[in-house]
Amino acid sequence: MSSSQLKVVAWGIATSVRDAGRPGLAHLGRSRGGAVDVAALQLGNRLVGNPPDVAGFETSGGLVLRCAAPVMVAVAGSPTDLRVVGGPPLGWGAPVVLPASAVLHVGRLRGGARSYLCVRGGISGTDGAAVHLGADPNAAAAAHAAAPLPLDRPVRVWPGPRLDWFTSGSLHALVTTVWEVLPASNRVGLRLTGMPLVRARHDELASEGLVEGAIQVPPDGHPIVMLADHPTTGGYPVIAVVDPADLWLVAQRPAGTEVRFSRDRRAGTR
Amino acid sequence: MTHPTDVTHVPVRILPCGPRALLAEYDSIEAVMGVADRLRRAAVPSVREIVPAARTVLVVHDGGDTARLRELLGDVRPLDRGDGPEVRIPVRYDGIDFAEVAELTGLGADAVIEAHSAAVYTVAFCGFMHGFGYLAGLPPQLHVPRRSTPRPRVDAGSVAIAGEWAGVYPSASPGGWRLLGNTDVVMWDEARGRPGLLEPGMRVRFEPV
Repeated sequence: MSSSQLKVVAWGIATSVRDAGRPGLAHLGRSRGGAVDVAALQLGNRLVGNPPDVAGFETSGGLVLRCAAPVMVAVAGSPTDLRVVGGPPLGWGAPVVLPASAVLHVGRLRGGARSYLCVRGGISGTDGAAVHLGADPNAAAAAHAAAPLPLDRPVRVWPGPRLDWFTSGSLHALVTTVWEVLPASNRVGLRLTGMPLVRARHDELASEGLVEGAIQVPPDGHPIVMLADHPTTGGYPVIAVVDPADLWLVAQRPAGTEVRFSRDRRAGTR
Repeated sequence: MTHPTDVTHVPVRILPCGPRALLAEYDSIEAVMGVADRLRRAAVPSVREIVPAARTVLVVHDGGDTARLRELLGDVRPLDRGDGPEVRIPVRYDGIDFAEVAELTGLGADAVIEAHSAAVYTVAFCGFMHGFGYLAGLPPQLHVPRRSTPRPRVDAGSVAIAGEWAGVYPSASPGGWRLLGNTDVVMWDEARGRPGLLEPGMRVRFEPV
């Protein structure tokens, strides 16, 4: 039986417990769910010796935890002000062992939109404020800290499937516009504003399957990039798809920041 | 029983959808059902998701060679019904729109129940919310338009029709379909190995209770 070695003192902003999600159910109307930035969750888990896909905390800051027993934790994803109350700041991307009775504070995020606090053993469940951990993974924690990644490089996209629903020059507009992230962004999608994209067709598109990273364009011309909790089908044309390797960049853009797209060099010319 | 029609030059367009997906577009739901059925049977190891919709099939794959997938997506043999497992859904025909449907169709109450429960439906695709199956096979005399204004709340288990489709709301949500009745069957259960009762290709019958 799992033990409750951690207690949530404050959940903070948009905090939830997330694993890597459950792919393979899109035909039932269920998207992957799970961590929006899966790569960050997986890095955090590797740092503390866990299997990569087990559950950790996804948070946009303000998460406070009290340890009931010594636990090893690591933070990946967005850099954040991480400290044990009364102690020195802790580093990003490195496993640390917290003593019993330590109070850990995940403060403001620095640069990204989501941090992942992973705990050795993984989170097997929560019961109110009590956090239950899984068995010790019996694997070594990381010996070295991870290096933070640049969050501000352009996001590579592949044109299509519905580029032909837009006026010519729309792909150029997509990759040259500096888009701003709107506060209405969430786990469903990253909502962008900028010079609106213009449709060449105004008839109705029958709802069709959507992939994570699809850039859907509603009639107002402001793109929405589909994230972990996206609907599995949608009726707005998709102008381009974010390369899966760059999904984490989209997942990490906070409201009010800029996003630039670039055409993936491997995508065919059209 | 399936009803494949002749393989003729059924139009298909295969659209790019990033490095790990293909979106194929057809001119009918029968073409979609036929292609999706054959894709599921082919069990191509590189396939991660097969997502049929009203006129398209989305295939998510592992990023490798897509020649076999393109071949399957282009080999269109329309089906007008599936031959997957059959699910029976008991229905109380006490829906809030039942009387209106009886009037709109001119059939009267008994004939609406008879027509709705005699049909054999196929889950063409799922969408709108998880566990919501779009059921093909609604008899033409029951085709009624959706409500002009959606209701802010439709209860879980509502048995409904709209246009050419039949369906069951798996959980409470806004909705504009016409509500014929109710069922106690749980359409989505996260604790089940296969959480959705309905999967594309399954057959469905409604039983009056």
